[in-house]
Amino acid sequence: MNPSLIAELVRLRYKLMWAKTRSRNGRIALFLAGYILLVMLIALLTSGGFGAALVAVRSGKAEMVARAVLGVLFLEGLIATTILGFGMNAIFSETELRRYPVNATERRVARHLIGIVDPFWFLFLALEVGLAVGLYAAGAGSFWLGFLAALLLFLCNYLAARVLALIVDRVMQRKSGAFILLAVILSLSLGPSLLIPAFKENPQLGRATVNTLRYTPPFGAAAAMVRTDSGAVLGLGTVVWWGLGLGAALVVLERRPPHVRVASQSALAKSAAITFDGPFDRLAATLFDAEDAPLVAHWLRFYARNNRFRTFHLLSLPLVAFMTFAVSAQSGAGGLFATALGTIGCVSFLASSRISLNLFGYVGGAFRRYFLLPTDPSAALRTGSYASLLLSASILPFALLAWAVFAPVAFDPRKLFMLAGTGTTGLFVFHGLGLWVTLFNPRRGNYSSSLGNDLSLGGNIVLMGGVMTGIFLPKALLRWAPAFVSAGNWWEVIPLALAGIGFYVVSLKAAGPLFVARREKLLAVVEGRG
Amino acid sequence: MDAIRLTNLVKKYGPTVAVENLSLTVRAGTMFGFLGPNGSGKSTTIGCMTGLLDPSSGEVELLGQRFDGGNSSGNSSGNAAGNPAIKRRIGVMPETLGLFEPLYAHEFLAFVGRMFGLDDATTRKRVTELLAALDLTDPGKTLSEYSTGMRKRVAFAAAVIHSPEVLFLDEPFESIDPAGVSLMKQWLRRFTEQGRTVFITSHVLETVERICTEVAIITKPGKLVWQGDITTFANDGAISYGGQEFKALEPLFLHLTGERYADLNWL
Repeated sequence: MNPSLIAELVRLRYKLMWAKTRSRNGRIALFLAGYILLVMLIALLTSGGFGAALVAVRSGKAEMVARAVLGVLFLEGLIATTILGFGMNAIFSETELRRYPVNATERRVARHLIGIVDPFWFLFLALEVGLAVGLYAAGAGSFWLGFLAALLLFLCNYLAARVLALIVDRVMQRKSGAFILLAVILSLSLGPSLLIPAFKENPQLGRATVNTLRYTPPFGAAAAMVRTDSGAVLGLGTVVWWGLGLGAALVVLERRPPHVRVASQSALAKSAAITFDGPFDRLAATLFDAEDAPLVAHWLRFYARNNRFRTFHLLSLPLVAFMTFAVSAQSGAGGLFATALGTIGCVSFLASSRISLNLFGYVGGAFRRYFLLPTDPSAALRTGSYASLLLSASILPFALLAWAVFAPVAFDPRKLFMLAGTGTTGLFVFHGLGLWVTLFNPRRGNYSSSLGNDLSLGGNIVLMGGVMTGIFLPKALLRWAPAFVSAGNWWEVIPLALAGIGFYVVSLKAAGPLFVARREKLLAVVEGRG
Repeated sequence: MDAIRLTNLVKKYGPTVAVENLSLTVRAGTMFGFLGPNGSGKSTTIGCMTGLLDPSSGEVELLGQRFDGGNSSGNSSGNAAGNPAIKRRIGVMPETLGLFEPLYAHEFLAFVGRMFGLDDATTRKRVTELLAALDLTDPGKTLSEYSTGMRKRVAFAAAVIHSPEVLFLDEPFESIDPAGVSLMKQWLRRFTEQGRTVFITSHVLETVERICTEVAIITKPGKLVWQGDITTFANDGAISYGGQEFKALEPLFLHLTGERYADLNWL
């Protein structure tokens, strides 16, 4: 093991982070402010953990509160890293590290060290350490045992996130991956709503579950933090065993080559007979003029071939359906419809957000091709947005059909009309905003990545803001202005949808010349130089 | 007729000058070599000539018409309406190949063919012929799975599929095997015999000397230091410059761009 080389690689990761900000005017200040804010946040979280510990001890339920806090943190760590991609974007891949004189073990250590010292993970460590210190200060356990438990739990959480991400990645590489993932997500989503009544009916089951959970890392760490007897050692041992197990699983998974889909002989023979006129070409030729049609077909092909897009396209409808039922669970049939009015807007952009908010982020050097083509250069932006619009819109009829068939309310065509109206509004408003984010806050992404959040800050704001608006605006209207979400006022969605379409058209017209003027800046970003 | 004419071309990135007052004329039917050390502004110049970059000032004329890259962003050179028509008459193989990685070679070439106004039957015929000629017939492989040399062949095919009148090739022969290079040279010779123009940048001076009839040499930052006919070398002749005789392109290039010598005793 060569610790100095490994340390040099970790240092290089921070130097590269620094260099990235230095290359942009005025970003240094932002970077400093970001880190000052981060440090303040860490301090806040530490004190938050400390506060939770004091409350836990005073309430006389120290271990229970510690279990709950650590359990939620552990799950949040998994979700945030696996689904949202925080803290997982290590600078160096295995291939990149092979350039340096480090062996396989050193490469693995360097990669994970770079991963675990990501500022994101420190937020979790801060809360866990804060909790441990708070419990000790309130007289509930040993400082060193608690501190050690916090560190080991943090390590376990990182390893579990890596293992989970690798498993999901491997599953996604299989043909049936999307369906497996869909089944898992639905089970996880529906699980709690099925289990809670079962626990209420049968308290014995709840106790048995808690008993089993004692052997998980958060519960083990909670025991080590609040106890000083053999239970603490047992708890610490649980975390250590999990850490070792997850570490071994990680090594096995990383050593196992990813599953490569081998085309069957018949598929090869089929692809050998080159087809020039696919469904995308035919669709684009039907809907667009001769200048735009080949470009729209090209974009459709480019993005519809993306494994991640296809998976999320399939997942978005059940996810939004679940979201609708979960959010409106307490508010009856009127609440369900009001919620659906907002969430149906989300169904039109959840799957395509990665594309529509960063149209050129995945084309890399091919971006320059658009300027060598004998067309108006802004056609690349326009047609990219059209393609995303088409792909997104394709799910709306299914969403409406699902409402008509499955919604536990009496069928009312006015409601269906309103849903179509707000869905259309969401579709166009989101794509209008997507044009601006594409122009002013693009980010270079990885076309073949299965996981993670590679949207820019602006992209995330629009996406999260869109989802939040879709969830909370109708609820707010239902409470304060119920007439707006009642079927009696079905006609309201007409001006709403027209306004959405108008915003998109105006954005498209304004964005064209700006796209041409900003092409060198965009080129630098998508080629990884900006 | 002049195929390419640059007049006082300037390209700046903030305070940095990448191309400084470059004026150049290339006659139609010439195999033209555009040479210079690394970072001297060759690719930037090609970018300005093909519509990828906006010149800071100066003029670009292609095939007798002023060209601003078809980018009607309001800069002084105007004439945007005519530019897509000029673009249809030029072919470009950029230094960064610019391929859409998830596509198959035939899909990419068909897309380029259609964009350059070829009808469906011609597109199909040319794509099939190009793929066969360039040995790119491997089915079921996307461009991301191709080797560097194969990707370069695809980029070359995309540059010539519409049979352009002026062809810009940025480092075309790098990473391609000798058979591929030989085929490309054949095609390029035929191109110029038919009165069309090829504008090549390359660091392989032997190749440039063998295939080009005229050469321009630039130094940092995009300053023209020499332009002239180099067919003399093929006839065992010499070129005089600054009182010295040069019997090959390489010594002339090194003389003009500054030959360097560094004695690193540990190397």
